[in-house]
Amino acid sequence: MAERSSHSVYDIFKSMEFGPSAPSAALTAASWLELHSGSLGLFIDGKFVLPDNRQTVMVSDPKGEDLCRIVCADDEDIFSCSSSAAAGFQVWKELSDNRRAKVLLRFASSLQRYSQCVCEVCDLCQTPGSAPALIRLAQYYAGWAQLRHTLLPGWSPRGVVAVMSDDILFYSLWLKVLPALAVGNSVIVVPGVKLAPPTLLLAQLLKEAGLPAGVLNVVTGNNSVRVKVAQNHQINHITYSGSKQDGELLVKQIAGHGIPVSLSLSVCSVCPFIIFETADVDSAVDGLMDAAFKNYSEWRWLVCVQESVYDAVVEKLKFRMVGMKCVSVSDECERGRVDAAVRDAEQQGAMLIQSCSPPSSGCVYPPTVVCNTAPSSSLVVSPPLGPVVPLLSFRSAAEAVALGNCRPHGRAASIWTEDLTLALETAKSLCVGSVCVNTPSVTDPSLPQSGRRESGTCTDGGGEGLYQFLRASVAPSRSEPVSLDYTGFGTAASRFLVPEGSDPSSVSRSCSHLVRGKVCKADSGYSREVRAPGGTVVAHCPDGGRKDVRNAVEAALKVQPGWMKKSPATRALALYSLADSLEKRKQDMATSIHKQTGLSIEEAAQEVELSISRLSDWAARCDKQNRHAPLLPHTGSALSAPEAVGVVGVVLPDTKPLLSMVSVLGATVSMGNAIIMVPSERFPLPALDFIPILQASDVPAGVVSVISGGRDQLTQALANHNEIQAIWYWGSAEGRQFLQHCSPLKRLWLLCEEEVDEDGWKFWSKPSFSMQEEMWRECVVWKSVWIPTA
Amino acid sequence: MSERNPGIDLDLEWVSKVRVNTQAVLKRAQQVQGRKVAKKEWQAAWHLKAVTCIDLTTLSGDDTPSNVHRLCMKAMQPVRYDLLQSMDMHDKGITTAAVCVYPSRVADAVKSLKAAKSNIPVASVATGFPAGQTPLKTRLEEVRMAVEDGATEIDIVINRTLALTGQWADLYYEIQQFREACGDAHMKTILAVGELGTFTNVYKASLVAMMAGSDFIKTSTGKESVNATYPVAIVMVRAIRDYYLKTGHKVGFKPAGGIRTAQEALVWLVLMKEELGDQWLTPHLFRLGASSLLGDIERQIYHYVTGRYPASHELPMA
Repeated sequence: MAERSSHSVYDIFKSMEFGPSAPSAALTAASWLELHSGSLGLFIDGKFVLPDNRQTVMVSDPKGEDLCRIVCADDEDIFSCSSSAAAGFQVWKELSDNRRAKVLLRFASSLQRYSQCVCEVCDLCQTPGSAPALIRLAQYYAGWAQLRHTLLPGWSPRGVVAVMSDDILFYSLWLKVLPALAVGNSVIVVPGVKLAPPTLLLAQLLKEAGLPAGVLNVVTGNNSVRVKVAQNHQINHITYSGSKQDGELLVKQIAGHGIPVSLSLSVCSVCPFIIFETADVDSAVDGLMDAAFKNYSEWRWLVCVQESVYDAVVEKLKFRMVGMKCVSVSDECERGRVDAAVRDAEQQGAMLIQSCSPPSSGCVYPPTVVCNTAPSSSLVVSPPLGPVVPLLSFRSAAEAVALGNCRPHGRAASIWTEDLTLALETAKSLCVGSVCVNTPSVTDPSLPQSGRRESGTCTDGGGEGLYQFLRASVAPSRSEPVSLDYTGFGTAASRFLVPEGSDPSSVSRSCSHLVRGKVCKADSGYSREVRAPGGTVVAHCPDGGRKDVRNAVEAALKVQPGWMKKSPATRALALYSLADSLEKRKQDMATSIHKQTGLSIEEAAQEVELSISRLSDWAARCDKQNRHAPLLPHTGSALSAPEAVGVVGVVLPDTKPLLSMVSVLGATVSMGNAIIMVPSERFPLPALDFIPILQASDVPAGVVSVISGGRDQLTQALANHNEIQAIWYWGSAEGRQFLQHCSPLKRLWLLCEEEVDEDGWKFWSKPSFSMQEEMWRECVVWKSVWIPTA
Repeated sequence: MSERNPGIDLDLEWVSKVRVNTQAVLKRAQQVQGRKVAKKEWQAAWHLKAVTCIDLTTLSGDDTPSNVHRLCMKAMQPVRYDLLQSMDMHDKGITTAAVCVYPSRVADAVKSLKAAKSNIPVASVATGFPAGQTPLKTRLEEVRMAVEDGATEIDIVINRTLALTGQWADLYYEIQQFREACGDAHMKTILAVGELGTFTNVYKASLVAMMAGSDFIKTSTGKESVNATYPVAIVMVRAIRDYYLKTGHKVGFKPAGGIRTAQEALVWLVLMKEELGDQWLTPHLFRLGASSLLGDIERQIYHYVTGRYPASHELPMA
């Protein structure tokens, strides 16, 4: 006879309950933790280090019991870690592509071997971690490691890369670590507390797979460790995945250190989930429940349902949600926030669909759908992380797109319709990094995931995900932050003096700048002197400021969407016409450069020639952008295509005033962006003299604005306009520090003046192919669309 | 049996709006198959539930009164008495839901069951089973005769020609006539999903069958090349759900064909529970059309009770 428990067969026969799921014993995970006596150290120089007298943090398991301790690294640990990483980089980058690929492949197979243990450790630490996904990730980037020099010549690894994350995204963390390793960087991982144990386990597996000591180090601790690592001198690049608040704070804290930072801020991103009347509504409801009511999910969904099927969706949800069990949330405090937000929505008249009433305590919450939510409700604006979904209705596809785009986030969207044309049109109009058609989401390393707006500044995954960890031009050297008055930066009133003792025989001319496609004076009415190298005043140029930037952005926003939608061929023709127009007036331009910079007339003419050819380069590239269809392990079709960033603000360098300007102008405009340029403060004349040439070309008015004035004043104005998505800056170290501090969520490309890299490529006059490619990549964001089929 | 589905007027607009996304359905089917029932007593109870939902079937050319009689006896005592007793289930009326035979054998089955004082219903396939390619007149006559012989459940097959060519109104009227011919006997409508081409067609045919007053919709005859699969079942139970939400009438579901193992039976129950809820987990609304399935379930129950796997001779044959 089999043993009997309290449930009689007859009781179960009547109730038809599923019964308790067998609790996983987590034996392998327990024995791994036991091996470390429940105290995990740091992983430095290829081994576990357990320094004495350090603060520790306890990681708890889902039942709230103590699981293991992790060490909070102090300065000494970070120092030894960074020097180990620097040494590791030298070893790792010298290895052949094949050797690096082999290590990653061996890592994939050891992940396979220990997948049970990896899953168990992830479960115990309450972080979703799927072993098959990690294995596929490792295999995918092993492939890139193998092909690194074949497919990406001319790019160098950045050096020591610090990969940081918060508590939730284990897969996202490795979506950065593995590509960074694949192209030859060494990596310091700073995981969130809950991610520390599985990260340490994977570090050990990588070591066993033959990764040289120091190439991967893991430093654990609380948030302050992140900043300490970031400020370390050996670090060349930082990338962070996690929440917006922490990412923003991190960039602010390291402003002025001269380290580029890329952010993937998908935690708490609100993603539109759009159900059209042409959808398979049952499948859409299933997909929603699958996506929204997972344990510890990191995304939030905003469900938009077409009015004609709204009632059907609500009824089906009610029917399907009966008896659903509560879902785990990260902690008690999060549960409180979820509950408060739901109560708040209820107060505003929303109707709840809830599988059971919320328990008064514990880290669980029942799946909840909030119907008729107000778009201003806190559930939509700043949603807590929990199994709660707001439901809105819309009338037309255009309204669905408007609802979907009316959010600060831009990570992903899911659209449900059997109408392919509608699906593709909607996908094109949504301002998000990835769109899944008839499926809630997809994780595959070959699909690039990028964030728009507040969801990040970089692309992870796919071949595009590698460029975060590569550079073509020379990286700006590290600097020390200076004490900077961030509120006062660039606000000094312009000094306007009545000229004294100027020579009345040579009356200086007065220039205008270009805003809203019109030649005009500065909004303030002020102007400033422009001097020739000799010191004589040669002209007066407008002294632009905030208002000019505002006007330029306003015009840019109006024309940019239309410009982006123009066919690439049309954009190419416009740029060719600009090159032509420059050709016709090359004499004038050469004179202008000569007068302004003091260069000989021959050299100036040469710069003009180069500029013409540069514009033609970008014109030619317009209709040859590489869009491609990634290969997927599943059936279905995927598209991945670059799109314009939007409005780009550029602060131009003093060197090569004309060439630098047409280079960035060509790059940005060719990809469909609008651009607001601030010409060199010292040498603004060539840029201002270029304005009539621009107006004579076919580039639509408003796409390009040129605002002259004080560099700091205009930098400040660009930084403080939230519609400007990206800023490229060639200027002072203070300016770079200011930009990182004041607009941490913009796509910042901060460079030094003239750069000559090791191979003698010059950034402006003789750029290598990869340098041009780098600039092109700064002009675009990637959108991938996935349409699974049977 | 519970209330019957009276049917509704044909609503072609509803039928025309049906959309099914194949890959999403396949994915859902994967999910359902991944949902596990606990072991031990949980599994035993679920297995017994499956037993009570079985339409124990024999549909062969060589059926005779003797094997039909054995089938009826097995239906009355589907699991060995001592095994049931040790689970305290011997007095809970564990029988199969019905026996299912060809029209010509209905009289034999009714006779055997009556003699044994059992009230297990006798179901009969009809309407030119399995192809349905006989004239409407003879198909209707077949139904009437089976009912006359004492069948209280009739499994009719739909005319695939009408479904494949989109003649939904004609299909609706045909099924309505069958329903009329059935009288008080409950009608299960076999869609023969393996021959309907697309999931969308399956969904539409399900809706039309329910509108015409079917008490059950059934996947297949067991004679097509593709029988009851989980994805197709998901499409059909979604149609049932849709119909219930719109009209308030509950229609039953019967997968049939190729269901052989106890494990599969559990997946079918899980599918019903997940998609339609506990209220559909009764013989009134859920049937499993099977012949060899019962043997495997009995083996599993033997294992639960004794901890050993039985030799084939230890369990009575059907």
